Amino acid sequence: MIPLAALTTLPTSLESFSLVAPEIALVVAALVAFLGGAFLGLRSGWVIALLGIAAAWALAGGQPADAATITSGGVRVDGFSTFIRWLVLGLGALLALVQSGDLFATAVSRGPGIRRGGTCEEAGTFLLLLAGLSLVGVAGDLVLLFVGLELVSIPTYILLALKRIDAHGQEASLKYFFLSLVSSSLFLYAAVCLYGIGGSTDLQSIAARLQSTDAKIAGMATVLLPAALGMAMVGAAFRLAAVPMHFYAPDVYEGTSPGNAALLSTLPKVAGVVVLARLLGLAIAPDTTAAAQVGPAAQASLDLLWKLAVVIAAVTMTVGNVMALWQRNLRRLLGCSSIAHAGYLLVGVAVAAAAGATQAGQPLGDTTALDTGWTMVLGGMTSSLFYLATYALATIGIFGAVAYLGHRWPEWTAGSGPRPPREEIATVDDLDGLASTNPVAAFAIAAFLLSLAGIPPLPGFWGKLSLAASALQVDWNAAISLDSRRGWFVGLAVVLVLNAAIAAAYYLRIISAMYFKTTKRGVQADGGIAAGLAMLACLVLVAAVTVQPRRLFMAASRAGDAVSGTLPVAVADARPTIPGR
Amino acid sequence: MNALSPSTHLLLVIAAPLIGAIVAWLFRSWGLAAVRQSAANTAIVTLVLAGWLVVRFLSDPAAMAGEPYGLVEFPWLVGGIFDVKLSLGLDGLSIWMFALSALLSITAVFVSWDAIRDRPAGFYVLLLVLEAAMLGVFAARDVILFYVFFEFTLVPLFFLIGIWGHDERRKAAVKFFIYTLAGSVLTFLGLLAIILWNASHTGTVTFDIAALTAAMKAHPMPMDAGGGWLQLIVFLALLAGFAVKVPIVPLHTWLPLAHVEAPTGGSVDLAGVLLKIGIYGFLRFSLPMLPEASALAAPWLFGLGVVGIIYGALVALVQTDLKRLIAYSSVSHMGYIVMGLFALTPVATEGANLQLINHGLSSAGLFALVGMIYERFHTRNIASLGGIASRAPWLTVFFMLFTFSSIGLPGLNGFVGEFMILAGSFQRAWSGVAPSFSFAYLLMAVTAVVGVVLGAWYMLWAVERAFFGPSREPPRSGHDGHDGHGHADRCDLKWHELVALAPLAVFVLWIGLTPATFLRPAAPAIRAATQASADAFAARMRDATPTAQPIARTAQLP
Repeated sequence: MIPLAALTTLPTSLESFSLVAPEIALVVAALVAFLGGAFLGLRSGWVIALLGIAAAWALAGGQPADAATITSGGVRVDGFSTFIRWLVLGLGALLALVQSGDLFATAVSRGPGIRRGGTCEEAGTFLLLLAGLSLVGVAGDLVLLFVGLELVSIPTYILLALKRIDAHGQEASLKYFFLSLVSSSLFLYAAVCLYGIGGSTDLQSIAARLQSTDAKIAGMATVLLPAALGMAMVGAAFRLAAVPMHFYAPDVYEGTSPGNAALLSTLPKVAGVVVLARLLGLAIAPDTTAAAQVGPAAQASLDLLWKLAVVIAAVTMTVGNVMALWQRNLRRLLGCSSIAHAGYLLVGVAVAAAAGATQAGQPLGDTTALDTGWTMVLGGMTSSLFYLATYALATIGIFGAVAYLGHRWPEWTAGSGPRPPREEIATVDDLDGLASTNPVAAFAIAAFLLSLAGIPPLPGFWGKLSLAASALQVDWNAAISLDSRRGWFVGLAVVLVLNAAIAAAYYLRIISAMYFKTTKRGVQADGGIAAGLAMLACLVLVAAVTVQPRRLFMAASRAGDAVSGTLPVAVADARPTIPGR
Repeated sequence: MNALSPSTHLLLVIAAPLIGAIVAWLFRSWGLAAVRQSAANTAIVTLVLAGWLVVRFLSDPAAMAGEPYGLVEFPWLVGGIFDVKLSLGLDGLSIWMFALSALLSITAVFVSWDAIRDRPAGFYVLLLVLEAAMLGVFAARDVILFYVFFEFTLVPLFFLIGIWGHDERRKAAVKFFIYTLAGSVLTFLGLLAIILWNASHTGTVTFDIAALTAAMKAHPMPMDAGGGWLQLIVFLALLAGFAVKVPIVPLHTWLPLAHVEAPTGGSVDLAGVLLKIGIYGFLRFSLPMLPEASALAAPWLFGLGVVGIIYGALVALVQTDLKRLIAYSSVSHMGYIVMGLFALTPVATEGANLQLINHGLSSAGLFALVGMIYERFHTRNIASLGGIASRAPWLTVFFMLFTFSSIGLPGLNGFVGEFMILAGSFQRAWSGVAPSFSFAYLLMAVTAVVGVVLGAWYMLWAVERAFFGPSREPPRSGHDGHDGHGHADRCDLKWHELVALAPLAVFVLWIGLTPATFLRPAAPAIRAATQASADAFAARMRDATPTAQPIARTAQLP
């Protein structure tokens, strides 16, 4: 056991700052963007944002390789944080393109509705958001975790309020603001409970305490840990847009721009998954070593947590998909769909929690029937992270396409009075006949939708494959029965795949509108070339993952493995090796 | 001649339609003629390559003995728990369906020659992509690759129905897609369960179908309460997808709608090949990997097959739309195949496998002909048609040929398959089941024979009404806005229609006259695939047979 005193007084050194150099670069770029408005002109904002992301990318490339785990002053760099950082920077670059619409346009306010173009403030705020999210990924300390989360939330409110100046926009940003406050306070309560157990805000120290067999600590943990994990779960549910904190998503998405909707449907989900992964990591002991005991309290609360996650996952995906079936507004529909995908993401979290709840020394699944000593491990976090990446690519692509298309003309015949003004693309019907008016965008949207629906061999299929495989392997050799853990997870897998079929119904409705209907209304495609570029970049990435899913999967796999290595026990090498890895 | 290795050859056959699709897309601004010509060239090249591969397969002694032929393997998602490979190869189970897919693509392209004038590039690209997916599904030797092709066939057909279909096309396309997807996602879970079972019992992860089949034989899934009836659960999961695809009554409701609304080219592929993937799935996965569960389900599926035969025939009898009639006849004929497969005797299963090809040929031909009739008369309503024979004698000849093939006229291919299925079923009913099952089986087999009579009735009745009798004009009103263009004139087959139909007709006769040529290559593979299930069924029947009662002493006279 590591002396607690040594852990609680970690020195903050220069090293900690060098570990977060990419995040610092983002913040510096944000400051440049804020000031740049005065000196470089309003047009410079999103260019600075992209340059800042590029700089952070370069600095991240100079960071230690992802196998290593380095902790210093509340910062923890490991395979997991590296994956999150690359994900955030990659998605950030795509989102910056979508957000800017046209990279060089200045903000143009056309009265109520979406403001076109961008300002330097928007770009700077966006960079701060990315920095916050990346910090969440490297946080090894509750305080840093919370600061990172707030650095995600506050810029989000500003972006929501800036982009659309009408009643819908105000409703959206207020709704998001209040719910976000609730979520943040729930996380703070959870953090306080954890501090109460661990006597420290450092995640490693808390994890070490959880393994303690001391009756006093165990007694306290028995009370506080379920409360902490439960509240963190609900708080994360807001960021994931999962039941019971899901209902804001359709309203907020409807009341904002496609760029903001793209942001909301991806980046907060990353934050939610990171929080759950880090807190789970507290209690998940690496599987096969007798040295790493799951403390009895951790065991009990993980048992609670996986049940909670299974129920929330099943309900969330079903609620999201069924709600989406009736939507006509495109952003509302995708809002409901993003709820459903939060449910899919939670499948992996549930598996990870169940794996953590397995007794130490006993690999996932009952191995008594195995005569080969081979252990099946597809970490739940691995599938969740992999799925998150495939989902984010397709979602940003769709919103990028919608942002790029911008407006379309109402039906009008010459000589029947003045031509009516352009209308923003808002409903599914507005995409009618897109295949003939803008075939590239229609093809891209169709590919993204089919990927979200999980049609092979698109990325969404590989994601769902790993989610279903990880759910099916829990307690693999136990009999399937209603009251067993195996029964729960087989049921969850069935709900998962049936939901994929339900979801196909509304995704196909959009494809059907684009390809099977005809229209006399022309599409303006005035949303800006940068959004179009984002759409094409997503299409290329989707094609790349289709052909070669391995790279992304292995990166997610390393990240997922790093999560359960949060414990300060040197067992990383003792994990079962799987042929082919 | 042998410079081309079988592996490269196989890869080439599957890649050819994809390359052709790209070429057709590049020609899109050159207009209809260029696009359809390039699609036709592609289909012909693919067929020649596939035909040549089949000839090589047939002349390879190892392949004829049941060995896989032309193995190709590239890693796809290998790492962690996954070992997904792009693994292809042919064996006796798949060789004829593979060839049929290439053959029917010719028909699909040439029947669309004049019919498709709207956005032709998109149409032919999708048709060729569909061809590649169909070829792939039969050549796949990796579970996930099979599933990828299995699902991916939905996408091009969805667009084909939705864009180039008839009035209800949007509803039909979505219903077809969702219905099939809902079934096949459960199949997906079943396949994953098989992979995990193998991994936990052999210690290695493999997604290779042959390796999994062997492993499932060595380590069968539990089929009792103690093991949670795992084998039965997995069987039902696989059944969900395959039964929708076949379709087995009562899961057939998507089929008539999809067929009626689909463009002719789509109907040809749908009826000819896609329905067969369900049966192929039973042969490839359910029967060899889950024998005890298959044996348990066999009487039920045998019965559902018979229900399908009668139900499909009765519904076909009352149809007024010729295309819908043929769609229901497909339901009926697929019933025979299901029945033959789950009779689990060698004769019946081989007959079922042959009948896959037979039905592929005859139903594809009939759908193609209905499309041609629709092009000429702008109606498929049997009551509005009449006397086609006097105006289009060759069209009538082909329609009669495929009708006779469909109803099983001796000398044509349909007779061979149907006869083998019925003979095998009676063999099962008389000598292969426990006494308590015997009557039910006999009843079902006799009912299936009644279905043959019904089949002849609805087909010949439809032919009589539509083709013979006085020449009749469809009413002018409701005749999609074209003024009279002399329907009464001769309007016989055009050259491209002849090209679409002639290859099918050749095989209808060829299989009918020398069925052994087509039965022999498949026989070892069919035998191997069904042996385990047949044995398990025999064991079940032995258990159900009461042992002979000793003569009671009390019954003897004092």
